[in-house]
This record gives sequence, structure tokens and C-alpha cells, in this order.
Amino acid sequence: MPRSFAWRMAAAAAAAMLLVSLATGAWVWWQAEASLRSQLDRALAAEAESLLRDLEPYGMQGLAEQVELTRRRRGPVLALLQAPGGQIIAGAMPAAPPFLRGYATLEAPGRSLRALGLVLPGGVNLIVAGDLATVEQSAAALARSPPIAALVAAAFALLLGLLAARRLEVRLAQSGAAARAIMDGDLTRRLPGNPEGDEFDRLGATINLLLGRIEALVAAQRQVTDDIAHDLRTPLSHLRQRLEAAAAAPRTDPALIEAAIGDLDAVLASFAALLRIARVESGAGRAGFAAVDLSALASMMAETYGAVAEEAGRALEAHIAPGVVVQGDAALLRQALANLLDNAMLHGAGVVRLKLSHGGALMVADDGPGIPQGERDAVLRRFHRLQAAQGRPGSGLGLALVAATARMHGARLVLGGEQGLEVRLEF
Amino acid sequence: MRILVIEDDNATADYIAKGFLQDGQVVDIARNGRDGMFLALNEPFDVVITDRMLPGADGLAIIRAMRGSNIATPVLMLTALGEVERRVEGLEAGADDYLPKPFAFSELRARVRALARRPPPAAMADTMLLAGDIRMDLLARIVTRGARVVELLPTEWRLLEYMLRHKGQVLTRTMLLEKVWDFAFDPTTNVVDVHVSRLRRKLEGPGEKPVIRTLRGAGYALDSGA
Repeated sequence: MPRSFAWRMAAAAAAAMLLVSLATGAWVWWQAEASLRSQLDRALAAEAESLLRDLEPYGMQGLAEQVELTRRRRGPVLALLQAPGGQIIAGAMPAAPPFLRGYATLEAPGRSLRALGLVLPGGVNLIVAGDLATVEQSAAALARSPPIAALVAAAFALLLGLLAARRLEVRLAQSGAAARAIMDGDLTRRLPGNPEGDEFDRLGATINLLLGRIEALVAAQRQVTDDIAHDLRTPLSHLRQRLEAAAAAPRTDPALIEAAIGDLDAVLASFAALLRIARVESGAGRAGFAAVDLSALASMMAETYGAVAEEAGRALEAHIAPGVVVQGDAALLRQALANLLDNAMLHGAGVVRLKLSHGGALMVADDGPGIPQGERDAVLRRFHRLQAAQGRPGSGLGLALVAATARMHGARLVLGGEQGLEVRLEF
Repeated sequence: MRILVIEDDNATADYIAKGFLQDGQVVDIARNGRDGMFLALNEPFDVVITDRMLPGADGLAIIRAMRGSNIATPVLMLTALGEVERRVEGLEAGADDYLPKPFAFSELRARVRALARRPPPAAMADTMLLAGDIRMDLLARIVTRGARVVELLPTEWRLLEYMLRHKGQVLTRTMLLEKVWDFAFDPTTNVVDVHVSRLRRKLEGPGEKPVIRTLRGAGYALDSGA
């Protein structure tokens, strides 16, 4: 199995669990041992007291009988009665010292005893003792349970870690396969994921957004290249034909040369417009956004194009709400609005209406033939021109720039109008 | 007029130099940024034309160095097509004008002349602009021709103000679009022609001498002594 994060985490958790449980076990043992020892001490004291209770009524003889009885019972408590010289009067106890006063631990072969010695009148020595082995056994039993529980838990943790590692491996392998497919050129591939899923799904969703953006950028780039290849070829061929004609002419014809320069300028203008659209679509200029007084901008355009309309025997009606400010690129917004007004003048008819609402909706409308429903999306693409517009000035890039500018500004671009065309830019 | 051309493309540099030489100007050519920087900082010129991208020091660095040495010589920056957005960057560095390549020589010539004859900064504070019997009072916001008051719309006002500040010079459509309308593009409709002809109608009453000349294929000029 390759190195795995989940597996390593599980192993670390298991090791930590074992370590902690060992420490806990040691502590439990120490506590239990101390507590059980003092319990044993209290039990010995109680035992001695109960033996001495017989001393009052029955004398030393009675006590000796009780001690003898205790020995015969073979219970957990041992008792011994010794004369001052150390001679045993009654009872039995291994490794008993000849005299004991107070508590002591006796080391007999094979066992440890806790003993309490009392001195009775006449120098007689009573010793009661209990086996320490029971204390040790109980403490060990108590201390053993945490490590055993931890061992079981650690095994489970390792098992879970193994399963998690397996599962992660599978999920990451799917993402890796998708990434490799994308690197191989399939930009439409996305990472697998469930929209309501866990953190991996959420990360996948974010990466998918990123991939979508990259795909769109690459597509835009490709589109520009294709557009240049397809749509600049025609004017360039015309230019070539003109130059050939000029070369073949017996004398230099200034008109031919001028026409050629005109062709070339048109190509250059298209080229510049394409680059501009591409740059706008890449969103590169968004860093330079500033507050733009859309009302002032629209008023200026209304005045400028009002004159153009009047000279053409038409009219421009402007209704501009004051004080509308948006975040944006003034130069691009000016050009977008100019493109719309240019279109209304060149392809539209009747009164041109320019409206800016308080809510920030900018509208340009005219009473011309409009754009057929089916072509309203297509005209936003580069170089798309309506059949009716063939032969009129224009590059077919005007609305594409408007669309790109709208997208860059997060504005909604709506092409509408029952009669004529109505273009709305909603900020 | 002495002009410095800093341009690493030999064909373009020679094309510019040839045009100005035919015009009777003195032209120095620097074919890389280092030479250009040296000349711009050490020799007196009336106008500097520099490419933006240059081997050695680039156009922006040259302009910054000049402005840093208090050399106020007007600078026109040339740039590749499609870099219109970089215009602000150039102007902020201290360039006075900006022209994307490729360009018509007539456009470059008009802009260089406008730069070279730019009134000194003190004159910018003028409150009165004059050309013959046309007076523009910038404080009272009144334009008169002789004794007659001429009523102008805001755009016409800006157009006339710009023409008065550059009276006698050829002003191309592109220059007017940039300076009067702030358009960094060429609209499909004849915006400039429409406004110039409306201004002309207001300025040139019956019996009055024409003041705005149309130069075919080049642009417009306001007669300085009309």
C-alpha cells in the first residue's frame, strides 16, 4: 500500500490511544494498590479488635482459643499469639517475627503478608495478617482493563483507517483520472462529486468552477484565433487582389492605393476590436474598476448622438435618471453605449430612445426592423451579421463587445423589443 | 523642430524619420532603449517619440527618467495594436500622447505638431482663449464672435475649447475623439464630422469668414487669425 494520509492518521491515533491507556493503567494500578492496602490495614485493625473483645470476658485462654479457631477456619486472615519470648501460644503465621508492634509487611517464601502487631498485658504479642497477593491481584485486574480496551479500540481505528485510506484512494484516483484527461486535452471533463456531499465534494465543486473558467478562457482564445482565420481572410484577400491590380496597372493609381489602405485599416480595426473583446473577456481590466457616473456618461452620449441623429433627419429621445453610479470601466462602458447607439443609427430606424433608470438599467431602443428572435443570441457572437446588414458599414463586432463588457461588469444583457430592437443593460 | 525617435524596428524608425525630414524637421534616431535614454537625458529636443517595448530600457522607464530629471520635453509613446488599455499606464508615467501602431504618418505628424506647439503650462491657466474675432471666456462661460454671442452645447464647447487651444494646427478625427469625447475607439457613425459642422454653423454666421478648415483625409484646423 502506498503512503496514505488516512492510514497514517489512524495509526497515529491507535498509538496515541495505547500510550495514553498504558499511562492510565499505571495510574489506576498505583491508586488501587494504595487504596486496597489501606483497606486491608483497616480490616486487620477490625479483626484484631474483634479478637480482643474475647480477652475481657474469657481471659488469655479465650483469646488463644479464638486465635486457634481463626487458624482452623483457613480464612483470608491469619492470627498468631506469642509469648514474650517468641514462643507460639496459638495460631500460625509464616515468617512471623518474634515480636511485632504496629504495621509491617512480612516476606514469607512465595507470599507477602501485611501484619498488625499488638502488645497485650503481660507482654503477650497478638499479630493478625492478611495476604497482600489479593491486593496486588485486584490492583492489576483494575489496571489491566484500560490497555485492553485501548488495544481493541486501536485495532478498530487501524481497520477504519485502512478502509478510509482505501476509499480516499478510490476517490482521489477518480479525480486524478479526470485531471489527466483534462491535461490530455479534454477540457470538458470535470472532477466527480455530489453537490450535497462532504468537504471533498465541495473542494471538487470549487475546482470544477475553476476548470469551467479555464475552459471558457481557452475557448475564447480559440474563438479569437478561429475568428481571425475565418473572418479576416476575406478582407485580406480583397486587399491582395487590389494590390495585384495596382501592381499590374501601367501607372500608379492613387485611388487603388487609397482603397487598399482603406481595406487594410478595416482589417486593423477588426483586429484591434477582437483583441479588445478578448481582453475584456479575460476580465483582466476588472482590477481597474472605479465608480463611474453612468448618468453623466449617458447624458454626454445622448448629446453627442442627438446631434448625429438630427443630422440624419432622425431624433434621439433621452430619459436619464440622475445620480446613477456603478463600479466599472468608464472607457469600456462609453464604447459599449456608443456601439449600441451606432447600431441604432446604422441598422435601426425612426426615433432612437436612450433611457437610464434609477435602478441602473440602461436601454437603447429604435423602431427599425429589429433582430429576429432566433438570431438574438447569435448577434452577440463575434463577426455575426444579419443578412440585412450585409453591405452596410460595421465589422460584426459591436454587440460582441457590448456582451463582453456586460459580462465583465456583471450586468445582464437583454435583447428585446416587439417592433424594432431594444437592448437593455441591467447593472 | 528637433525630434528624437526611439524605435527598435528599423523600418518603422526610418519611415518616421523620412516623413519628418521631408517636413523639414531634424530627426535623431535611437535604435535601442539605452541610446534613447542617453540622448533624451543629454540633448535638447522639441519632441520625443518612443516605442513602448524596447531592448535595453523600455519606453516607460525612459519617460520616468526624463521626468525625474525635470526634462519636460513632450513625449509621444507608440505601442502595439490592442494595447489601448495600457494608455493610462503610459500617461501616468508622464507621456503626453499615445498612438497605437500601425498608424498613418499624417496622424503622427498632427500629434507631434500639437505636442511641440503646446502652450507652456502657465498659459493653461488662461481665462480667455482667442482666435481672430472668436473669444472664449472660460470664467464667464461665454463665447462671442465679434459682438455676437454664440450659444454652445457642452460638447460643442469642449470641441471649440480644444480647437482654440490648438488653433492653426491640424487636428485629426482620432485626436478629437480622444481629447473631446474621451473615445479610445472609432465610432461607426460620423460623430466628429457632425459636431464640427454644427459648431461651424454656429460660428460662421451669414457674411462671416469661415474659421474651421476641413483638410481632406487629415482632419480639421481652426484658423488662428480668422
